[in-house]
Amino acid sequence: MRPARPVLVRSVLAALTLALPLASAGTALRPSAVHAAGASDDEAERLARWKEIQKSIFGDRRIAPTDSLVKVDAPVRAMDAALVPITLTMPEKDRIAAVHLVIDDNPSPYAAHITFGPGADAGEIKLRVRVNNYTNIHAVVETKDGQLFETTKFVKASGGCSAPMGMSDEEAMKGMGDMKLRFAEAQPGRPVEATLMIRHPNFSGMQMNQITRDYTPARYINKVAITRGDQAVLTLDGDISIASNPVINFGLQPAGQGPIRVVATDNQNGRWEHSFTAPSATN
Amino acid sequence: MRHRLLRLAVAGTALLLAAASPADSPVNVPEPDGIWTGPQRGYTPATLAGANVIDIDALDALIARDRPVLLDVSLADRRPAGFPDDRPWLPAHRSVPGAVWMANAGAAPLDPAREALFLKRVAELTGSDKGRAVVAFCHPECWGSWNAAKRLVLQGYTRVHWFPEGIEGWQERHPTTVIPEDAAWSAGTGVGAQR
Repeated sequence: MRPARPVLVRSVLAALTLALPLASAGTALRPSAVHAAGASDDEAERLARWKEIQKSIFGDRRIAPTDSLVKVDAPVRAMDAALVPITLTMPEKDRIAAVHLVIDDNPSPYAAHITFGPGADAGEIKLRVRVNNYTNIHAVVETKDGQLFETTKFVKASGGCSAPMGMSDEEAMKGMGDMKLRFAEAQPGRPVEATLMIRHPNFSGMQMNQITRDYTPARYINKVAITRGDQAVLTLDGDISIASNPVINFGLQPAGQGPIRVVATDNQNGRWEHSFTAPSATN
Repeated sequence: MRHRLLRLAVAGTALLLAAASPADSPVNVPEPDGIWTGPQRGYTPATLAGANVIDIDALDALIARDRPVLLDVSLADRRPAGFPDDRPWLPAHRSVPGAVWMANAGAAPLDPAREALFLKRVAELTGSDKGRAVVAFCHPECWGSWNAAKRLVLQGYTRVHWFPEGIEGWQERHPTTVIPEDAAWSAGTGVGAQR
């Protein structure tokens, strides 16, 4: 059985992804058949790597394991390593100040750091990432009193960081910075689920043009700041591990007022700002 | 719709897909004459004249029986230009335990000095025994290992094996381990480690 997707399928997927990112977000990818066995990789080596990454990001700060403060959901076996859906669930959401997402075996493991403001409902975050190799994915939450807690999930996917997009760079950059913000149906007193979609190739710098053999220069969203009225909702510091055409699901506090403003910047001084009107719940 | 998307997909990778038929049966990729100098990523032939094409079962059996020289020619992860210094960059190459990693040794064209170094290293690793079992691999749809195996066939090695499933095929069944690039290969030239 071949674990990797044929190139053509990947190319079509990539094309589909670019063509319909806004319509299909979140529903296009479902875990394929899951094989529980086989995660027999060297645990000690993986743990040592996590310790190294942990030190480089968090220094000597203590990180306690948790089963309850944060949970990572991801397909055990990802269909497309360049587009792996991740859900971070934080049931005790009022205690959470921030969450860090680390993809251990990616060469650039620190995928995202999301800081929540008062306008956010921190119960759930979804995003899509690139996975370079079979890897542990760590989520580290920071509580409002400054403690760190971590959990992990093993994911089987390979080659996501260097997978070409299956189209020319020019094509991939069309409409760069366009955004959409979709809302789930609002219910009175309940947090509002929002989905932000940003058109951007998020070139990893590890993708080789197969014809010229040049590497497409890295161009990726490094910051997304979302506010509502005068309240911060969340800030995402991102990286080349975020999939092309980033999609972020997040929650809004139901009591929030005012337009939602999104400012995204990339590592090549791109800056895009859009305003959206949030729906209000009606009885 | 599907056709339009297909064409869109094909546009960027026309050469790569020239020989391909439907997605699920990438058949009939003919063997090139000698080393493949086209795009290094793409469907590969099912055969390699002068070498054995092996699956994971055959590789397991070969390792148990013959202690073959395992040659990993995968590309190294490339640090993106301008990658911020304050973020961790920690590439780790996971491979078949015991393999010797000569990154991109299947490239074509390959600098003649690099090719000579590759052959010299293989000669050292095989104890100059051209009858010693050798396995070349990288990733699925990666021509590098096909080329590396072909280079050895052209040099008169008689028990060359090509494992097209590569590292992904190995890690379906077995643990991988982080291996450093072969020291002599890294030291061979200043541009060896990072491409």
